[in-house]
This record gives sequence, structure tokens and C-alpha cells, in this order.
Amino acid sequence: MSGPIINWIDKRFPLTSFVKHELTDYPTPRNLSYWWNFGFLAGIVLVLQVATGIFLAMHYKADSTLAFDSIQHIMREVNYGWLLRYMHATGASAFFFVIFVHMARTLYYGSFRAPRELLWWTGQGLLLMLMATAFMGYLLPWGQMSFWGATVITNLFKVTPFIGENVVIWLRGDYSVGDDTLTRFFSLHYLFPFLIIGAVIVHLVALHTVKSSNPSGIDLKDKDNIPFHPYFTAKDLYGLGIFLIVYSVFVFFMPNSLIEPANNIPANPMVTPSHIVPEWYFLPFYAILRSVPNMFGGVVAMALSVMMFAFMPFLDRSRIPGGARYRPIYRIQFYLFLLDMLVLGYVGYKPPTNPSIVVVGQVATLCYFASFFVVPFVSKIEERWLIKRGLPAGIMELMEREKRDLENRTQEHRRRKGDLV
Amino acid sequence: MSTLLKIMLLGCLSISAFAEEAKLENIQVATDKPALARGAEDWMNNCHTCHTMKYVKYSDLLSLGIDKAKVDGWRGEASVDTPLIAQMSDADAMATFARVPPDLSLMAQARDGGPNYMYSYLIGYYLKPDGTTGNHIFPETKMPDPLGISSVAGAAQRTEMQNTAKSITSFLTWAADPHTTDRTRLGYYVIGYLIVLSGLLYVVKKQIWSRLK
Repeated sequence: MSGPIINWIDKRFPLTSFVKHELTDYPTPRNLSYWWNFGFLAGIVLVLQVATGIFLAMHYKADSTLAFDSIQHIMREVNYGWLLRYMHATGASAFFFVIFVHMARTLYYGSFRAPRELLWWTGQGLLLMLMATAFMGYLLPWGQMSFWGATVITNLFKVTPFIGENVVIWLRGDYSVGDDTLTRFFSLHYLFPFLIIGAVIVHLVALHTVKSSNPSGIDLKDKDNIPFHPYFTAKDLYGLGIFLIVYSVFVFFMPNSLIEPANNIPANPMVTPSHIVPEWYFLPFYAILRSVPNMFGGVVAMALSVMMFAFMPFLDRSRIPGGARYRPIYRIQFYLFLLDMLVLGYVGYKPPTNPSIVVVGQVATLCYFASFFVVPFVSKIEERWLIKRGLPAGIMELMEREKRDLENRTQEHRRRKGDLV
Repeated sequence: MSTLLKIMLLGCLSISAFAEEAKLENIQVATDKPALARGAEDWMNNCHTCHTMKYVKYSDLLSLGIDKAKVDGWRGEASVDTPLIAQMSDADAMATFARVPPDLSLMAQARDGGPNYMYSYLIGYYLKPDGTTGNHIFPETKMPDPLGISSVAGAAQRTEMQNTAKSITSFLTWAADPHTTDRTRLGYYVIGYLIVLSGLLYVVKKQIWSRLK
């Protein structure tokens, strides 16, 4: 970039060098598949959610007597209010869908492994913030499912040792979910996206420090890296087009498929819905919560089930690169885990009145945690087996190189600290 | 592996154990204005006495192309911007049915099955041996058979009532989300545009990536 204005700016702000470093010169592995589009898509959905949310907030009333009516005001009287609301409601589901694919890709290709642990953990933090934001946003329409969902989930904090009751009251601002809960959830639902944007920046800084992983699982040579712009901007934009088509099918043709019918009934503390069910993206975790007969155990299990992903860098001890690509057993584990998630989702959706559903849920919960706990052992056994069986020539070489890289990096680090001269 | 098989087997069993209790009729709701206008009239004649639609105004009915004189007759002294409030007062309703009949603005979206539920419920009335009416879909209902379908004998008359039920259901489906037609029309344009755009972006991507050796 050049020109007098750019020059003027560059003397005062590192604009050109920033663009160069982060975009036009930023090295990206050329072998990234379309599975690497989903981080970019998550960023776009975040922008869409913030943009539609800000305009919705101009018409929404965070007051328990007005909230439900104000949503109908948006749906009926505000110009294109229905579009804003359906985009925002569908966007929540789209966000989780994109994030789940993003996480599944990371797990499949082992992208969480060294040196990308911090990248993975900031992502874990983002997932938690996203869940909190979605949960608080779900209260705002003030329908039956909003109210009872918030009641059930805030009630879980009762298990906090010693101060449980007080924590629940502190969260709700009242003895039961009510007007105070609604106003604070609205306030926090507006705040959290901006915290998420901040955390996304941290996530990106971590990414640009360690660079993208790639399907082969190891750091590529310089000649295999291409600049992010224009190659991956073009690839990401094409992926965005496809994503927006799917998103629009939901927004324009089936927007109510993702909204529980009971949420079209105004919140009524006197009438409990026959079956309280969370949004689809919480179902597997909800199933785990219900599968443990004891409430304290259930809450711990649910919290742990979300946090288990953070342990993956420690659990996976295999040195074979490329995640599931060169690791047949890990690949089977991965697909079984996905299947288990689907089973848990189904269990979470069904009322727990059927004993066989409860049993399926408990077995699936055990499978969920077992699939993490077996990883250290299986990954080590698998590595030994694969080496004994004979790895493809290239991969052995890659492993050696990766090992050398790691040693070099450690030495470099020591040298910088002054341990070695 | 055997655990997996067990899970799948149990999953299959539980699906069959959870079969729906009452079968809902499947209907196609009308979305054209003349049908909706007929539905509004049927609703006014059969439901408005007891039920309110607080999110639908008389002016909304005019937008369906209903004759202004007719709407003026319905609203009487009330302004066109008044919502459709039930003719019966809440106190009278409490005295008669021991509860206030629910608002119907969003009813088409407030039950599992949506319009199918509503239609099946309206035609689901039958005569019990003791002379009172019951409902197959919602046995606990307090509402007396609004269309009188439980006491109909002839097939022709029954068909006529089914048509009324269908037209009321269509109207309520419109009332629950009045922008549906606009939404789907805009949807075709948006998706058409996005398909063309994605096609172009694909060509751009191919073009740019072809520079790589």
C-alpha cells in the first residue's frame, strides 16, 4: 500500500505492516480443506448476531410485563422486524452449529496439540461465554420455555457448597425468576458479545503466533505456505456464500423449526410446561445432567462434560501427526464420540419418563467420559502399533522433523532466556 | 463395539415406545387473501365471542381485503386500531368455564403440530354416551364443541364443517405470523442472489488459486 494518506497514517500507526503481517504476508498452509472455513464463519455469525441484536434492542422492552408483547411488536409492526428477529434466533443455532464443526475439526485433525494448546483453551473459554450468552438471550422472549429453562438452570447453582441458596438468589435477583432476572439477563446478554469479541482477538493473536494447523498435522515448509490474502480470503468468501444459503433457508422458510412451540405462550410462573427442554445445542449436556441421579453429581458431570475438551492436549499422547488422518483407531474413537453426542442429544430431547431412555442416557454418559479417559492409553498403544506396523515413509520423516522442531524450539527458548550460550 | 450395539438397540426400542398418543390430521393451510378473509369471517362467527386476539387489529383484517363495511360492523364503536378483544368479559368467562379462554394470536405456533394440531382439535369433538362432548386431541378441554361437529350426522355436513375448521386454522396460522408470504417471497430472491453470488465467488476462488503452481 502506498499514497500520501497511507504514508501519513503509517508514520503514526502500523497500518501497512499490520495488513502485511496478518493478511497479505500471513503464511497459511496451502493444503487447508474447507473444514478450516468454520472459524471465519463463526466470526461472521458473531458480527451478524451483534448487528441484528443491536437493532432488536432498540425495540425490545426488558420488562416482564412488556417483554413478550415487545417481541410481537417487533414481529408485526417494526419494519422488517420479523427478519431481524428470525436472523437473530436462527443465528444462535447457526453459531453453535459452526462452533461445533470448528471443534470437531480440531479434534479430528488433532489441531489442539502442541504448540496450539493456548489457542484451544481460549476457544474453550469462548465456548463457555457463547453458552452463557445464548442461555441469557433465551430468557428475553419471556415465553414459557424461556422462563422455565432459566428457572431450571439457575436452580442448578443450589449445589454450590455452603452458599448455594444465596448464589441462586444473587443470580436471579429475586427468590424466583422474575423481572429482576429478566433485566439483568438483558444487560449481560448485551455485554457478553463484546467480551466475546475481546476473547476472539486473543484467540486470533494466539492463532497468528502458532499459525494454522493443517490436515497433515505438522508445520509445513515455507514453500507450502501461501499468503492468507488473496488465497484464503477467496476460499473463505466462497464458503461464506454456501453457509449463507443454508442459513437463509432456515431464516426465510423454516424459522420456527428452531423455536419451541411452548415459547409462544407468555411466561407463567403458575403453570409448568409438561416437558422442559433446552435448545438443541444444549441437549447432549442436558442429557448428562439428567443421567446422574444425584443433583450435585449431575451438575458436576455437566460442567465437566463441557470442560473435558480442554484436557485433550494432555490426554492425547500420540506423536503421530495429522490427528485422525493417519490414526485409524483415533478415527474410530472420533466417530463413536460423534455418535454418542447424537444419542445424548436424542436422550436430552425426550422426557425422562421412559426407563429405557434413562438407561440409554446413563450408558451414553459413561461412554462420553470413557471416550476421553481412554484416549491416553489408546493413543499410546495405537502409536506403538502403528510404528510396529510400519508408517508410510513420509510420516516417519515428518515425525522426526517435528521432534527436531520441538527440540530446536526448546533450545531457542532456553537460549533466549540465557540458559545456553 | 457391543456397547454401541446396545445403545442403538435401546434407541430403536425407545422410539417405538414413544409413539404419539393421538393422531393428528395433516392439512395444507391456505395463504391466499380470499381464503384468509373467509377464515377471518369464520373466526368472527365461531370464536370471537369468547376468544381474544390481542396482537391482531381490525386494520389488519382490512389488509386481507375484507369489505370495509363488514369490518366496521364487527368493530362497532371501537377504532380500527383496536385489537380483536373477546365479546365476553373475563369475569363472565370465569363464571361459565372457570377459566379465561386463551388468546389465539399465536395459538397456531403454540402447540406441537401447529396448524395440524389446531385443525385436528377443532374436528376432534365427539358425543359421549352421557350426552356431553369430548375431544380426542385434547381430552381436558373446557371448550364446548365450537362448530357442532360432534352432533353432525351427514357426510356432506361434516365436510362443510371440516372446511370451516380448515379456514379458521388458515386464518389463525396467518395471524400467528402475518409476514409469512412476504418472508417466503423475499426468501426466494435472497437465496437466488446468494446462489449466483456463491457461483461467482467459486469462479473467483478457482481463478485466484490457479496462480499457484
